[in-house]
Order: sequence, then C-alpha cells, then structure tokens
Amino acid sequence: MRRLGSLRIERRPDPPLPWVLLVSGLAIAGALVLAGLIFWGYGLNPFEAYATIARDTLGDTRILPEIFRPGIPLMLIGVGLVLAFRAQFYNIGAEGQLLAGTIAATWVALFSPIHGAWVIPAMFVAGALAGALWGLLPTLMKLRLNVNEVITTLMMNYIAIYTVQWLVYGPWKGPSVRGFPYTDEFSGAAVLPLIPGTPIHWPTLLLGVLAAAVLAFMLARTTLGFEIRVQGQNPTAARYAGISPLRTIVVAMLISGGLAGIAGVGEVAGIHRRLFDPGQISQGYGYAAIIVAWLARGSPLAAILTAVFLGIVYSAGEVMKATLQMPARVTDVFNGLILFCLIGSERLLYYRMRWNSN
Amino acid sequence: MELELILTTIVRAAAVGTPLLWASLGEIYAERSGVVNLGVEGMMILGAFVAFATAYTSGNPILGLVAAAVVGGAAALLHAFVSVSLRANQYVSGLALSMLGLGLAGLLGRGWEGIPLENPLSEIALVPVGVVLAGVLWIVLYRTRWGLAIRSVGELPAAADAMGINVVLVRYLAVVFGGLLAGVAGGFLSVAYRPSWTEGMTAGTGWIAIALAIFAGWDPLKAIGAAFLFGALFHLSFRLQAWIPPEPLTMLPFVFTIAVLALAARRTTRLFGAAPEALGIPFVRGER
Amino acid sequence: MRGIRLLLVIGLVLLLVATGAAQTKLKAGFIYVGPIGDYGWTHAHNEARLLAMKALPYLETSYIESVPEGNAGPSIDKLVRAGNQVIFTTSFGFMDATIGAAKKYPNVIFAHASGFKRAPNSATYMADFYQVYYLNGLAAGALTKTNKVAYVGAFPIPEVKRHLDAFALGVCAVNPTARVHVRWINNWFSPPAAKEATEALIAAGADAFAFTEDSPTVIQVAAKKNLASFSHYSPMYKFAPNYVVSGELVHWDRIYIDFLTKVRNGTYTTKNLQNVDYWWLLAEKAVEMGAQPGMAINPLYVNKLKAVTVTTSEFGKISVYDLIMKRHAQMSQAKPAFDPFTGPLKDRNGVTRVAAGHTMNPGELTSMEWAAPCVVGPWPNEPK
Repeated sequence: MRRLGSLRIERRPDPPLPWVLLVSGLAIAGALVLAGLIFWGYGLNPFEAYATIARDTLGDTRILPEIFRPGIPLMLIGVGLVLAFRAQFYNIGAEGQLLAGTIAATWVALFSPIHGAWVIPAMFVAGALAGALWGLLPTLMKLRLNVNEVITTLMMNYIAIYTVQWLVYGPWKGPSVRGFPYTDEFSGAAVLPLIPGTPIHWPTLLLGVLAAAVLAFMLARTTLGFEIRVQGQNPTAARYAGISPLRTIVVAMLISGGLAGIAGVGEVAGIHRRLFDPGQISQGYGYAAIIVAWLARGSPLAAILTAVFLGIVYSAGEVMKATLQMPARVTDVFNGLILFCLIGSERLLYYRMRWNSN
Repeated sequence: MELELILTTIVRAAAVGTPLLWASLGEIYAERSGVVNLGVEGMMILGAFVAFATAYTSGNPILGLVAAAVVGGAAALLHAFVSVSLRANQYVSGLALSMLGLGLAGLLGRGWEGIPLENPLSEIALVPVGVVLAGVLWIVLYRTRWGLAIRSVGELPAAADAMGINVVLVRYLAVVFGGLLAGVAGGFLSVAYRPSWTEGMTAGTGWIAIALAIFAGWDPLKAIGAAFLFGALFHLSFRLQAWIPPEPLTMLPFVFTIAVLALAARRTTRLFGAAPEALGIPFVRGER
Repeated sequence: MRGIRLLLVIGLVLLLVATGAAQTKLKAGFIYVGPIGDYGWTHAHNEARLLAMKALPYLETSYIESVPEGNAGPSIDKLVRAGNQVIFTTSFGFMDATIGAAKKYPNVIFAHASGFKRAPNSATYMADFYQVYYLNGLAAGALTKTNKVAYVGAFPIPEVKRHLDAFALGVCAVNPTARVHVRWINNWFSPPAAKEATEALIAAGADAFAFTEDSPTVIQVAAKKNLASFSHYSPMYKFAPNYVVSGELVHWDRIYIDFLTKVRNGTYTTKNLQNVDYWWLLAEKAVEMGAQPGMAINPLYVNKLKAVTVTTSEFGKISVYDLIMKRHAQMSQAKPAFDPFTGPLKDRNGVTRVAAGHTMNPGELTSMEWAAPCVVGPWPNEPK
C-alpha cells in the first residue's frame, strides 16, 4: 500500500471481469493508436488504413475464415500456455513443441505401417506425445535442478528447428520433389478434412475448443485444478499444504506441450500436407500464443476468444501487405506494440487508486 | 599448414565472437542487476540499421557505432520502464522488444539494401577493444562499489535497499548499459563484419548472445572464452563440412547452453557460475 | 425531349470512355516469397516488375511480399479480388497453390517461376544461369594461381548443383588440374554463414570465388583478402570494383514484358498455356554475364584473361578471354551452337551421365543431382 497525499494505491489480486475487459480494451486501443502513428509516418492516413483493414478482414465473408488459419494453432497453444502460466511455468518453447508434433505426425503419415482410418488419430496421438516430451526436459530441469525454464524452452526451440531442417534436407527428403527440401505429400488418409471453401481443418479446431472446455472444468472443479491454482498463486502455501510442485507443474507442462504438438499436427495435416522448412510451417505461432495466453488472463475459455482476436491481427497483417502494400515486418510492429501495452497495463489491473476519505 | 589452420580458426573465432561478446557483456550486466532482457535481437537489429544509415550518411563508421549505442540504449530504456517501473513480466517485455525492434528496423530499413559502405571499420581492430572491455567490466563488477551495488541488487534487492542502494536506479542503469552494448554489437555487424545493411541481418545472433551470458556463468571474463568458443564452432561448421553434416554443429551452442545450465545447477563443478538470486523478479519495496 | 436525348448521348459517350479507360489497363499481381529488400531473388523480381511498368504504359501492378508458402492460396485470392488479370507466383514452394488457384479462377492467367506443373491458364517460367556460370568458370579457371576455386552454395538442390557443375565444367575446360571446392550454407540468405563459409574456403587456399546467396558477402570477404570473385544475381560490382571479375545478372523483366505483351494482344489466353514454359537463357537475354549491366568482364581483368591461352579442338590455340567471348556468342544465338551440358559427360565418380552427342534438356537439367568431375567437397544426395 502506498500513499500520495490523500491518494491511496492498493493491491487487488482478483480484479472484477468488467475492469479486466476495460483495461485490456484500453491497452489494445493504445497499441492501435501507436500503430496509427506508424501508418501516419509511412504516409498513410491512419483512419483510412484502419477502415481498409476492418473492411478486408471482417467485412468480407470470403476472407473472414482466414482468421482461423493462424487462429487454430494459436488457440491450441494458447489454451495450453494459460495452464502452464497458471502453474507459474513460463513456457517459451511452444514453437519447438509444435515442431516436435509435426515431426511425429509426418513420421506416422509417411513412414509408419499405420494406414487407413487409423492414420489421423495416430498422428494426433503421436504429435501430442512428441510435443509433451519436448517440453518435459525443461520441466524436469526446473523441478530437479531449479534451472530457469525460459532459457531452456527457448534453446529447445532451436534444437527442434535444426532437427526438422536436417530431416527435410537429409533422410526425409521426398523422391518426388526434384531435390527440393520437402518431404513427399501426405496421402489422402493423412490429410485433415476442411470446411469447404475455407482453410479451417475442423477436427483440430474442435480439439482446441474441447481442450479449452476440459481445462476450464479441470481448473474450476477438480483437485488437480485446485492444486495448480494454489501452486501458481502461492508456491510457499502450496508446499505447506502438501501439494507436490512436481505433480502440478509436470501435468501442466505435459498438457501444454501436448496441445502445442497437436497444433503442429494440424499445420502439417491440415495446411501444408508435408514437412518442409521449419520457418514456413509455423508463422511464429509459438511466440504469438504467449499474447493469446496473456490476454486470456488465466482463463482457458477466454483463450478461445483471444486466439480469434490474434487471428484477426494476423489477417490484418496480410491486408496491410496486400492492400496497403506495406512491408511484411509491419505485423511484428503490431504484435510488439500490443504486447507492450498489455503488460504495461498490468498494474492498472491489479492495483486501484482510492481517495482517502479521512 | 596445421599451424595456419589453428591460427585462422582463432582469428575467425574472434571475429565471429566479437559481436556476440559485446551483446552478451551487456546482457550479463542487465541480468546481474536482476533483469532479464530477451530483447537483445531487437536492440541489435535496430543498432545495425542505425549504425549503417549513420555511417553511410556521415561517412564516419565510429559515429555509426555511437548512434547504434544510443538507439540500443533507448530501446533498453523502454524495457527498463516496463519491467522495472511497471514491474511487468520481464520475459514477455523482452519478447515484445524483440518483435518491435525487428519490425521497426524492417520498416525503416526499406531501400537501404544493396548499398556498399565506402570506409568500413576493420573487424579485427574491434576484437581487442571487446576483450579489454570485458576485462574492465570484470574489474568494475567484482572490485568496485558500483559492481557491488549491481551484484547486491541482483542477489538480494531488499538487503541492498536497506543498505541505501537505489535498486530501481541501479537496475535502470544496468539495463540501459546492456542496451548500449547490444546496439554496438548490431552496429558491428553492419559497419564492420558485413559491412552493409539487409533486413533481418542479425539472423538470431541476439538469442545466441543471451544463451552465451548464461553459458559464461554471468562472468565478463568467461564471456570472452565462451563467445570465441561459439564463434569457433560456427566457423568450424563450414570448415569441417566435408566430414560432419552442418546441422549438428549449428545445434551445438544451444545444446551446450542447456548442458551448462544443468551442470551449473548441480554444482558438480565450479567452472560455471549460478544465476543471480533475484533474476527475473521485480523489486517491490517492503515486499520480499 | 431533346435535352434528354442529349443527356443520353453524353451518358453513352461517358460510359464508353469509362469502359474504354478500364480496358486500357492490364492489372498484374506478384506474390513474393521474401522481402523486396533482400537484394537477391525477390529484389530482382521487384526490379523487373518496375521495369515492366515503365515499358508497358497500360500495365498496373501490385505485390505481396514475404508470403509464407502456406499462405500462397489466400494471397492469390486477395490479388484476384483486387481485379488482377495476371498473377505471377515467384517461388518453387508456391507451385501447388498456383495450380489450385488456376482451377479455382479459370478466367485469370497465372505464371509460376521455377516449377514444373502447368494448366490451361497457368504457365511456368525460369531465367536460368547455367550458361553464364560456365563462362564465369572459364575465367575462374584461368585466374586461379592455387588451382583451388571456391563455390559457396545455398542449398544442395538441383538448381544450385546445375550451376555449380556448369561452373566447374568451365573451370576445368581451361585448367584441368584445378578443382572447385564447395561449401553449403543451407540458406538462401545468411550473411554470417556466407562469410564464414568463404573464410573457411580462403583458409583452404582457394583464390577465386563464385556463390549462390542473396547478399554480396562472399565478394566483400574475398576482396578484403585481395581475391577475385564472381557476383550473383544482383549488380554487385560496386561492392568490390577491383576484385569482381564478372558474374550473373538476371532480367526477369524480359520475361514479364514478353508474357504481358502476349496476354495483352491475345496470344496468351486462359485456354492455351498448358505448354507455355519459358526456359530463358542468354539467347533470350533473360540472363546476362557481368557484375553490372553492360560490363561482361571487369576491364581490370581483360588483359589477365588475354594473357592465358589454351588449346581447344574447336578453336585451336586461343586466349581465355577470346574463348569466353566465342562461347558467349555461340550460346547467344537463337539456336545455341554450344552447350556445357553436351555429352559425353561423366560425374566425379566416373559414371557416364550424358551420352555422347546428347544435350541435356530442361527436364533433365532441373532434376540433375550428380557432381561434375572437378568438384571437391560434400555433395548431399549424390547419386551412386
């Protein structure tokens, strides 16, 4: 608590929902104003630019589904990150866990004896396992050796990138691609169905929504969820209450990594239909999903909405490139500004000012 | 021939390692004060662009490096404000800085590609400067009151505060100083190592610099060895290509960093230092 | 009554003018894989787009840069909806998306660079360098003192292997004892990797450098050690005027202008592109030898190349400079009188790859994986 004359600033750990919405909305508005300045500096009228973006992303029913192209992986990863963050595990390695999922799915699709109707389920299971395993090493290092997970998960991303690169330039390079670094295309049985006319591979989307619902239930109603919540809010209290951090964090990370792995399966089986350059498989989804989880403020269900919001940002980036003829890097500027404004507004969220009456 | 092979490898290791060294020295100071800055890549690319643009228009590459330092410091100031004053999550703030830096440099740098620099700096000439700098920073960190202040703020901020050290100010200074060095490291790439500007030219160097700060155990002197080792590995991945495929060698720095973190944590060897106690934790007066 | 009729007439005239004005424009869209600031592949396509706009007053263009391969489809959708009648997709990875879009939009004309799949409304095009690499190789073979020539390769894919082989065939045509040492950087654009690969080759004793990478790094590094080099793709003479001997330049605008003109005059329609494949070389002026337009060989190196003589069965005793010019002239004819990939040719393991008298066709060239006899170094996926 702090006093400035008759002004009192006090902490409130559980801000009411309308206040959360208001502050988050203000943060995003702030980011849009700052980005507007960049439009203006680039010689564009910010109001016209935003009008164009709104018209071409949300106002066109043919383009609208494009939101889900990034939206599906962002949702799966974001939901998982919400859980990891609630357990106070800062998983920056979703990008690597996603790639681990793509490797496993590609193996099932191209090199395993599994075939027919079993292929897709096997790909999802294998992808989830691979993503979970990829996240396990940093988790165990944190729990056993108290090694900071941010750095280890980040390093694991690079190891995943070079592993995929090595596979597509070496042993997995397809005979049918004339020497280019791609695997062969998946057979029809290993390709996810789309909603016609859209890029929405609905089985993956369904898994994302289901995961959000299950995790929301788990957090609110189960012992494990309670333990994760306590572990996240007050590790010391959790220890006194006999909650094993090993159990909560490992479970949270296995789920988080597994969901990222499933997102990877969706990318190779729903969008690309083959494995190739790791920088092209994921458009930085593993990093952008951090924004999704941050915006969701700890609620898996809210992550569905925030993933859609970030999908709109991605889609808007495409419009800025195509219609406004801006450089591709403008999306990074947008994401950076939104993230800064969001975390910058955090204090507004958890603290309130009061005029002292006495 | 053998001798020449070893000599050229050492020279290349130093040249590749120098930008890594500068950036990781900056990160070491920031982290020693308790603030992680994952925005190194963003600060470096901004420094690279500003250094090139300044060096090209003024004809003076040194001036370019100075401008890069200023821009890197300004970017770090943003991180300091958000993570120290607003006490926001340092990791997320750093990621945001990386995105913003890469984005802004991409927008500003449009049209500057494909231009040669008339009088670039010699990359070898900057190697000893980096080595001397590392030595000076080691002395400052371990043998002066300033260094003591930085270390105590990073280990036990509450105690430092009780001793009358201005924790917020020390963290600000350390983070901004780290930004200055990251800016110079980026500038080194565009006015000496390359020398020219292309979008995305840092190509992940900033992330390796962060790994390196840990690898070196947050020790400026060990950072010299670590940076040159990483440089040597990178160079050798091309040298040894006839015998070893490049991917495993390119992967090595990242594998090493994880391994070192594990070794340092087990304290089975005293070669690697431990992380500052208060690393990543915002300081709130009166709280622990 | 009269007023109304007048209004009608005016209206009709305005309508005609308006539709006429609309018809006088041809809208073309470009999908780029990288940023236009890469000073390599995408930069060259963008320069060509600007030149085409200058040459064709009726042309209107737009582009989308840094399009990830997975996003090619929706990016094409955007260009179609913006009213583009012709769409160029400029990366191999866009191939399937282009063919898919051609089916989806039968009234739009597509052209895909560097691929091998076509459709009635989708052509393919490529400006290839292998002849120019051969000419550069002749010069490199004559200039090397250490008999070690270097090549920094982007990816071990057929396109780069073809260029490397052509370069090596050129080197050994004038200097059979020379060897071409190769290093791969597994990247189209990575200045740090190109730099260290070059340093590694310098350390191995190489003294003349060719490469495939989208930056002038190799040239800059070689020049610092006073070593000769050959530029790649963009005009890079200015980065080392004393050391760049020659190089390869691309003129995509030649293809774009020809293609768009033929669309404009009705030669190309949405029905007849199934067999339209531009495989344009020196003869079509889609590529040029040199490090700067109009300068085939750096004047500083002309006398050095004139001083070296070789004996060939075709020309007898001849200076390398004259040989380069003769070969250049032969390959610039409408029906080239010379091709570096004319058999008999063996790979470096002694396996015959091209039979005597046969000249490799575009299909064979775009899928070749073998290494020429003078090549030394790693060669992923080398055929047995």
